[in-house]
Amino acid sequence: MIRKAIRRIQRYKGWFGGAAALCLIVGLYLGLLGSPPDYYQGEVVRIMYVHVPLAHTALFAYTVLFGGSAWYLWKRDPLVDNMCHAAAGLCALFTTLALFTGMIWGKPTWNTWWTWDARLTSFMVLLFILVGYLMLRTFIDEPEKEARYAAVIAIVGFVDLPIIHFSVEWWRTLHQPQSISMRGVSISSGMLVPLIAMSIGMSFLFSYMLMVRTQRLYLTNLLNAKKGRLLSQFHLSKAES
Amino acid sequence: MTIVYVRWGGLLIAAMILAFLASQNYRQSLASLSPKEVLEALPQGEVRVLGRVKGRSLSGEVDEGHAQFSLAGNEDELAVTYNGPPPENLRELKQLVVIGIWNPEEQKFLAREFALVTNYGFVLSAYLIGLLPLAIFLFVMERKVALLYAEIKQSKLYESDVG
Repeated sequence: MIRKAIRRIQRYKGWFGGAAALCLIVGLYLGLLGSPPDYYQGEVVRIMYVHVPLAHTALFAYTVLFGGSAWYLWKRDPLVDNMCHAAAGLCALFTTLALFTGMIWGKPTWNTWWTWDARLTSFMVLLFILVGYLMLRTFIDEPEKEARYAAVIAIVGFVDLPIIHFSVEWWRTLHQPQSISMRGVSISSGMLVPLIAMSIGMSFLFSYMLMVRTQRLYLTNLLNAKKGRLLSQFHLSKAES
Repeated sequence: MTIVYVRWGGLLIAAMILAFLASQNYRQSLASLSPKEVLEALPQGEVRVLGRVKGRSLSGEVDEGHAQFSLAGNEDELAVTYNGPPPENLRELKQLVVIGIWNPEEQKFLAREFALVTNYGFVLSAYLIGLLPLAIFLFVMERKVALLYAEIKQSKLYESDVG
């Protein structure tokens, strides 16, 4: 079922890329030119339109990785494992960029590049989990074992996501609480529109990147497998002659 | 492969247009003068002046929104009279942007609003660090996929090796 869904979605890859480009261009235009400066932070608040969508997308990417890993452990579908491998690399990229842009925002607003705040620390733990996941995939040679262990790590690591989400409520943190929650929206519409446009754009971009990367991994594996098969055939025919 | 380069060329042009518009917008609406430039140019309309509130110069009823102080630049200083909403950012030795008009008769700058110093560097670096790696990564991946397709096609590896 999920294999069919992945193949069907892959057919609309171009639409995802186009939607990402459109939303990001509109979001950047509104964020840099159309939105007002913040009363306390001034122009620096514009960093929000790139930092927050990157962080949201990192969490979305990990959710995809978690779902895919659970499905893999159940059905043992190599295509889903391929997708999980691709999602982990992208999630690591989005997490790193969210951390760096957050540091740049932290310097003018908190007067420090880094602090061991609950939100920042739990987000960094997410990066370590992803680095561990990717290292495991590099160092284990047996493909089935590699996929199984990686899926287990991804599922265990999912514990960090609710900690990241609720860290600003559970602990007294320097990081500001969520602007959009069940309790309502606490930012003006002039800032909300570019933020939503950028968040949707980043989610489309991640989906598009995931398709391209999954395709890349699939083609590399296919090429290696075919080459290996041809090579073994060549050796067999040589041995026979 | 050509389609990858054409698509990325289009995106690059869109990004450059956006960057140009943004830089023009900031240059026009957020450009500020130094106190020395105000005293030399004696501007007619409303301007933004960047400087530091000189120590021991702040007087008046600041909490009520009426204040007098000297705004110092590197070489010169400007006498400023502020009348407006109670300011939260006004204090001695604070660097800020004062928005208002120059009054040549009183030889004073009549301010109506304060703004924070614009940190372009932080905003620019956050956007570059946030978006550039994503674009480079995606470009490399798309190029690699196109190359892999070409390699598979050329080597005829897609043909079944059974039988």
